[in-house]
Amino acid sequence: MHFAPLPYLDPGSGSFLIQLLIATLLGLGVAIRASWGTISKWFGIKPKAKADEEDDEAESK
Amino acid sequence: MTKPNQNKGQLSASFRDPSGFLFSRGGVLYRQVNRKYEQEYARLMESGLYEKLVKAGLLIPHVEVDQDPAAPDSVYKVIQPERVPFISYPYEWSFGQLKDAALATLSFQRRALKVGMSLKDASAYNIQFVRGKPTLIDTLSFEIYKEGQPWVAYRQFCQHFLAPLALMALKDVRLNQLMRVYIDGVPLDLASDLLPAKTRFNFGLLTNIHLHAGAQKKYSGAEVKSRAGTMSKQAMTGLIDGLDSAIRKLDWKPGGTEWGNYYDITNYSDAAFEHKKQLVGEWSARMKPTLVWDLGANNGVFSRVAGETGAYVVSADVDPTAVEQNYRQVKSAKEENLLPLLLDLTNPSPSIGWANEERDAFGARGPADMVLALALIHHLAISNNVPLPQVADFFAKTGKWLVIEFVPKSDSQVQKLLVSRDDIFPTYTREGFETAFQQRFKICEAVNVSESERVLYLMQSL
Repeated sequence: MHFAPLPYLDPGSGSFLIQLLIATLLGLGVAIRASWGTISKWFGIKPKAKADEEDDEAESK
Repeated sequence: MTKPNQNKGQLSASFRDPSGFLFSRGGVLYRQVNRKYEQEYARLMESGLYEKLVKAGLLIPHVEVDQDPAAPDSVYKVIQPERVPFISYPYEWSFGQLKDAALATLSFQRRALKVGMSLKDASAYNIQFVRGKPTLIDTLSFEIYKEGQPWVAYRQFCQHFLAPLALMALKDVRLNQLMRVYIDGVPLDLASDLLPAKTRFNFGLLTNIHLHAGAQKKYSGAEVKSRAGTMSKQAMTGLIDGLDSAIRKLDWKPGGTEWGNYYDITNYSDAAFEHKKQLVGEWSARMKPTLVWDLGANNGVFSRVAGETGAYVVSADVDPTAVEQNYRQVKSAKEENLLPLLLDLTNPSPSIGWANEERDAFGARGPADMVLALALIHHLAISNNVPLPQVADFFAKTGKWLVIEFVPKSDSQVQKLLVSRDDIFPTYTREGFETAFQQRFKICEAVNVSESERVLYLMQSL
């Protein structure tokens, strides 16, 4: 698919492809982390409470 | 600020993005938002993203104004952004400054994704240090995010941030100067060649630099079949988190130690040091400068004294260690009016970019109200062989008030500079110094610094 509108900077073909590869790989990690709670519950492990980091991140810098 | 285009006052640093541009009128800076960007601008303002970013000090605040547009045919709105006290560039930043700018850029992207937007560029030049923190100054950097879309700014982020930071941390901190040559960031094949082989065992650098450079070479000029793949939002989050982690792992400690004290190696007594501080403080309070340039600032001790009067102080030094220490202090003390800057006065930042007008030379970003040149003159006149009249000419152009320290030949620091060379400086005396500077300045005060042979001057340019 094409993404309309096309960006005003050329993302570069090689950059685009490698990005897909890395992102897919790391996205998998994100998915696992996101469902870690459920997975660990199956094994009877209590999930740790985790604050939503992003909104506090910049303020604390 | 970059030079205005003669016809419309359009500034030459903002010609690439069709979303809008900066223009200057009557000395005030405006940004025209084009109709093409209407939808994106509305989303930025209405989604709460603008407010959140501004509140966190991550985005420059602006107001919408009723000002005649510079290009009426394409205008949607005219906004007036808050003026940045001093524009600086990535090749003038210490390691920590560039690292914080990189992390801030990733933070904008994560926050934008939450409201269905994405950064369409990740240029280090879009970041400025405002109130001590890296701040996005290009309000038009966000586009509407469509699920499946890759991050168009990925290549730029790697070139502007990851590559120079990796080179600085793992090869040599001076390699940030490559940014001065390559205005669109360090080419990844060059970074890949220069980085030590062990970086191939670092997942973030292996993928985002080495394999990335390889892919660029392999697919150079190739049309990727309909840019085939799509990237889920989860994959996008993975990419951004991966970059964040790669950047956080990079570290550079000034001089191998944190917070080493530079002033331990000076040759003058505590009394001389305190006397100098007292004079700088008194003269700053009397002249009430708005903008001070402390040239040869070391880690910024005297910059802070001048800054106590409320002035904005650009605290420049040639030593990456000193600048890094200075920046760490700004961060830890949350100082808002001090900008540490890496600058070689014997070869200051030139004007670079298209038509030599995109990024201003250091001198063109002045003049300052007051310039501090403490323990500096011997480095310029003796180490760098610049005749005193030319040193005076230079300072006369940089600011109205000059606080300058004369360090005589008998001083041990000057003796060190002369130990292995001919003394070809017969006019380097207090009299010779005063004669040269009186051509360009009125000497208002000359005070012998206690327990030292040095003299501190307050001068006003003629």
